[in-house]
Amino acid sequence: MRLVGRLLVRWETLLVIAIVGVGIWSVTLSPFFLVRANLLDLLTPYVFIGLMAFGLTFVVIAGEIDISVASTLAVSVVTFAQLFANGVNVWLAALVGLVVATALGLVNGLLVGILNLPSLAITLGTLAAYQGLAFVILSGEGVAEFPTRYTDLGGGYVWGNQLPIALIVLLVFALVLGVVLHATRFGRYLFAIGSNSEAARLSGIPVARVRVTIFMLSGLMAGIAGVVYVGSFGSARADAAQGSLLDVVTAVVLGGVNIFGGAGSLLGVLLALVLVAELRNGMQLANLGGDTQNIVIGVLLLAAIVAGNVIRGIEAHGFPRLELRRSRREVAAGQRAEATTFPNSPKGR
Amino acid sequence: MTALAGRLRAQHLAEAAFRLRELGIGVALMVAIAFFSIRATNFLTAGNWQDIAKDVAIVVVVAIGETMVILTRNIDLSVGSIVGLSAFVCADTLAKHPGLPLVLAALLAIAVGFGLGLVNGLLVVVARIPAIIATLATLAIYRGISFQVTNGQAISAFQLPDRFLNLASTQPLGLPTLAWFALVVALVGAAILRWAPWGRDFYAIGSNPGAARLAGIPAGRRVVTAFALCGALAGLGGFMWAARFPNVDAVAATDFELDVITAAVIGGVNVFGGSGSVLGVVLGAVLVATIQDGFTLLQLSEFWKMFFNGFAIVVAVALDALVTQRLQEALRRRRRAEVLEQRYAEAGT
Repeated sequence: MRLVGRLLVRWETLLVIAIVGVGIWSVTLSPFFLVRANLLDLLTPYVFIGLMAFGLTFVVIAGEIDISVASTLAVSVVTFAQLFANGVNVWLAALVGLVVATALGLVNGLLVGILNLPSLAITLGTLAAYQGLAFVILSGEGVAEFPTRYTDLGGGYVWGNQLPIALIVLLVFALVLGVVLHATRFGRYLFAIGSNSEAARLSGIPVARVRVTIFMLSGLMAGIAGVVYVGSFGSARADAAQGSLLDVVTAVVLGGVNIFGGAGSLLGVLLALVLVAELRNGMQLANLGGDTQNIVIGVLLLAAIVAGNVIRGIEAHGFPRLELRRSRREVAAGQRAEATTFPNSPKGR
Repeated sequence: MTALAGRLRAQHLAEAAFRLRELGIGVALMVAIAFFSIRATNFLTAGNWQDIAKDVAIVVVVAIGETMVILTRNIDLSVGSIVGLSAFVCADTLAKHPGLPLVLAALLAIAVGFGLGLVNGLLVVVARIPAIIATLATLAIYRGISFQVTNGQAISAFQLPDRFLNLASTQPLGLPTLAWFALVVALVGAAILRWAPWGRDFYAIGSNPGAARLAGIPAGRRVVTAFALCGALAGLGGFMWAARFPNVDAVAATDFELDVITAAVIGGVNVFGGSGSVLGVVLGAVLVATIQDGFTLLQLSEFWKMFFNGFAIVVAVALDALVTQRLQEALRRRRRAEVLEQRYAEAGT
């Protein structure tokens, strides 16, 4: 346990070092990077990604995956926009959007938790189905002109017009969900299920119900991300957040969440989000296009998993290759010895 | 004697389930054809069927590669990006060197795809990254490379030699040339999966990776092979894509992986690996293409197709899981009966 704790500390320390490193690189690119306003605003366009990543963190720690989050966000956003455009009060419309998002999560949850279907294939299916649904609800055109009282949620500022409200939303959710994940019985259940779902079931954890709950949570977080998304970008379209799945998954995996389930921390995911945001911001300062950025983020995602595998491997077995070679040699030596000393020894010896 | 008979019966049961599956797709296809021919006046014309055949051809070629990957209990989400990149490389080369033999152009596209697929395989096997994450990352990376390679430019039909465009427009023996490609790939693919020892290994690995390894199957090498072949077939798909849709740019074949995976999954390839047939995949591709073509003729929105794809994946996965469960239960019941029978017989003597 102590080792795992130390490892987590080390992983998060690595993230902080990386954040400082990318920060220094960004300073060399632009003198405006180190301005307080810019630093505070750095995360604002990525808050919706962070909120989705928080939801996904719960799912991945429990050993499942939900790749339909960005599509869920899209459905939630267009439902909200369509209602608003038809004269429904903006807050009520937003609430309906959240309910819809949670319901879509529930669909995933029932299919995975109750029918015991593989979350990978199911959420790949709902990824397409929900994205199509979003376009069907709001075909092609976008809705804009939301009241500022609402858009302030994503794009407004407080405290002398400097502190983005979106940042506060992100930190509040990080705190609340961090407590839920790390300090409640429900949170511990997730780690238990992710480590060994059969053992968790046998020790009386309601595995099916927890699975349904996490997918609902993931849907709800996608809905909340949608509320912030519309706030910060000021418009709602069916292709909202398309292509953000890569960033969401990268934030979760880079945050040290074990992709095979059973380990991870919300603090790590938050730090990884900061790193991804900072990296994209830096690449923009360096005039790199979105698609070049995607290559870098994709490589980062792969590197994060490899690093996690290597560290876990060393944790569990020491340096695996050296050991493999030694044991093979030992086995070979043993066989040779056996062959020379007991040429006719019976098998059962 | 009874044990052998039981095993034979069990095999019959499993085979019956497969036949039932293919029969089910056939019935669904008949229903779809009947529905669309009543609703859409020009559905049953020869020209429309030629169009469907061309669409099916590309999906079939790529889906057979995807099937090999899914059989080993993995998935490749990057095939759309591979098709796009190899289509552009192939079209670009043909535009610059109009005299190039088409065989070489095809080999070039296949080589590009093979290389990209090999990278996927190595990431999954050597770096031990879960296939869904690895190929989600390479989906973004390969698409990013596409943007780098195209540099914002597109190849247009008039830049390409007629010999190449004829692949899509000529119909030897009444079937489009592209469909002949698909037929050959399907026959070779079916032969490999049925008779080649390494093709059978794909099934063994997907059914039970641990047991396959213990049985001496080089599982890692086979999985790399499956990914590399999938990439190569996606490359061939890219060559065909460029002939069918000669205006190629960086976003060509975006989301095509959904069509491919839908065809494979509807066609009875189990997402848990270990079962699936080329015949099923071909039928699945025909069903998907027919329904999508019908949607187009009925002037339904493009996005209903996306919804249909996702919905079909979910339904097919759910049905498969249900049938597998029933089958396993039936087999278990039989085995129990056999054991009891044997005990009675022993007690009798």
